Amino acid sequence: MNLPSLITHSSLPLCVNVQLNYEQFTLAISQKFDLQGITGVFGHSGSGKSTLLRVIAGLEKQVSGNITLNNKVLADSHTKQFIKAEQRHIGLVFQDARLFPHLTVLANLQFAVKRCQHARLELNEIIQLTELDTLLDKHVDELSGGQKQRVALARAILTEPRLLLLDEPLSALDRQAKTRLLKLMATIQTELQIPMLYVSHSLDELQQVCDKLLVLAQGEVVGYGGIHEMIHQLNYLTTTSQTEEIIHQQTSLSLPIKHLDNGYGLTVLSLNDDEEIYLPVIAKQTTAQSLRCFILARDISISLMEPIHSSIVNHLLAKITTITTQKNMALVTALCTKHGEAQEFFVNISAFSQQKLALSVGQKIYLQFKAGAVRTYLY
Amino acid sequence: MINPDLLALLTTLKMAVLTTVILLFIGTPLAWILAKTQSRFKVIIEAIIALPLVLPPTVLGFYLLIAFSPQYLPGQIWQQVTGKQLAFSFSAIVIGSVLYSMPFVVQPLQKAFEQLGDPLLEAGAMLGAGPMDRFFHIVLPITKASYITAASLGFAHTVGEFGIILMIGGNIPGETRVLSIALFDHVEAFDYAKAHVLAISLLAGSLLLLAAIYLLNRPHKKSINKVVNK
Repeated sequence: MNLPSLITHSSLPLCVNVQLNYEQFTLAISQKFDLQGITGVFGHSGSGKSTLLRVIAGLEKQVSGNITLNNKVLADSHTKQFIKAEQRHIGLVFQDARLFPHLTVLANLQFAVKRCQHARLELNEIIQLTELDTLLDKHVDELSGGQKQRVALARAILTEPRLLLLDEPLSALDRQAKTRLLKLMATIQTELQIPMLYVSHSLDELQQVCDKLLVLAQGEVVGYGGIHEMIHQLNYLTTTSQTEEIIHQQTSLSLPIKHLDNGYGLTVLSLNDDEEIYLPVIAKQTTAQSLRCFILARDISISLMEPIHSSIVNHLLAKITTITTQKNMALVTALCTKHGEAQEFFVNISAFSQQKLALSVGQKIYLQFKAGAVRTYLY
Repeated sequence: MINPDLLALLTTLKMAVLTTVILLFIGTPLAWILAKTQSRFKVIIEAIIALPLVLPPTVLGFYLLIAFSPQYLPGQIWQQVTGKQLAFSFSAIVIGSVLYSMPFVVQPLQKAFEQLGDPLLEAGAMLGAGPMDRFFHIVLPITKASYITAASLGFAHTVGEFGIILMIGGNIPGETRVLSIALFDHVEAFDYAKAHVLAISLLAGSLLLLAAIYLLNRPHKKSINKVVNK
């Protein structure tokens, strides 16, 4: 399929400097974004992530501060400027789809097309892309949750927004529908190049598709940066309880695929050029060059000697960089370096083991983990 | 010379159609504001609109009669602008009917707008639809059933009015003599045969109208409930 890319510039600057007060909740965010690809917004419920999207969309009117998109003012409480939601050219996919119940699937899509000036996308191509061909004549209440969200996504794209906001679009779906929609989001991003802000409380989903991540807690920004870097930062935040047990401590990776199947049902990824990481075969056929995966800190163990006589397929030499102890557990950070490249790994072991092995910062250790411990959400 | 009862029927229909149209135009923004506002004056406005439901029509009729008379401001202004007296005119009974049937139009619309809520309107805005566009292409089609109910109840209630019209309209053929008044005349004159004809036609007409509303609204009611229960 040859779809016109909707965005010509390389990144879309978004500047949010707002404060919003509700009775029980305050949102105070001051953050600059260079939107490109998919930017994740993570936080537990009540952290203000949906409210932030509504503010950017123009659905919250009682906001003080200012927002600019592509250096143009969307709202400014000082100069009393406020561009209405319908004039912002921003798309929003809601958690509950919000399809029009009096219209068919096709009419829902046409609702968007009719209101889009200078439409460049072909309705039929978007219908094919979102696999809605067989559903066009259906009424909205005949659709499953996953189908509704596909329609909502297609409808939002057809307005040809310069920014697409996604407010937990997967949260009401089962695992299979989630995976399908997540893949679709990634495909749409690659095909159309629309920058997306994707709100979710599931780090697994965000890890798969996001390039950058914004972390919110209690209406404030906790951090913003590259996806892997931010997930690794969250590992520490978890120990200092700011985001209390909402995530499992983990190592988040994007690695090139070396062999899709090594003949034993294992996919081989390459790390730091010539190290290898094995995991169960992800897919018989994929065009992907690299894979997003994560290893939970509790799934990695530490050995002082090279575990060559072990059934555990993955072992890597690494150097301890930090040890953080909390209660009876220790979070060990170890750096795996080779050819000038380095990868950080996070390991959870018991304080008991840490004492027994007498681990200390700077020490060389072997990390080991089973193939099954290398997880990926999309496959 | 046209049959006086037929003339009364025409006057009634003219009054009821005009009243219903005016009520839909006034009732829509009023119901919209009431459905969306959080103001503390909301209760007071709601109570005023609902008053005709509990008040004897003669009470409202009495106050309107005073207001419409040339001695008082509304009546004076009317007379200056139109050159005609307001009390005992066709316009008077239309204004009276509008006030008297207001709750039958505003209440179903307000309820429908409240049930519809903001979610679909926000979705519309995010697709580039402005306020009027959202009203005509989202609100109106989804609340169609409530509009049919509101219009029919407003119309039927206006046709069935008696007390208020007697107070402010009197009994002028072709002007304010409507069916219910004509019926009353026949009874007073002991012309029970003619009274029967009018009474049975009003009864049958109202029954048919109400049955038609319930029939029309059956499938649509379902769809609005689905929106709400989603």
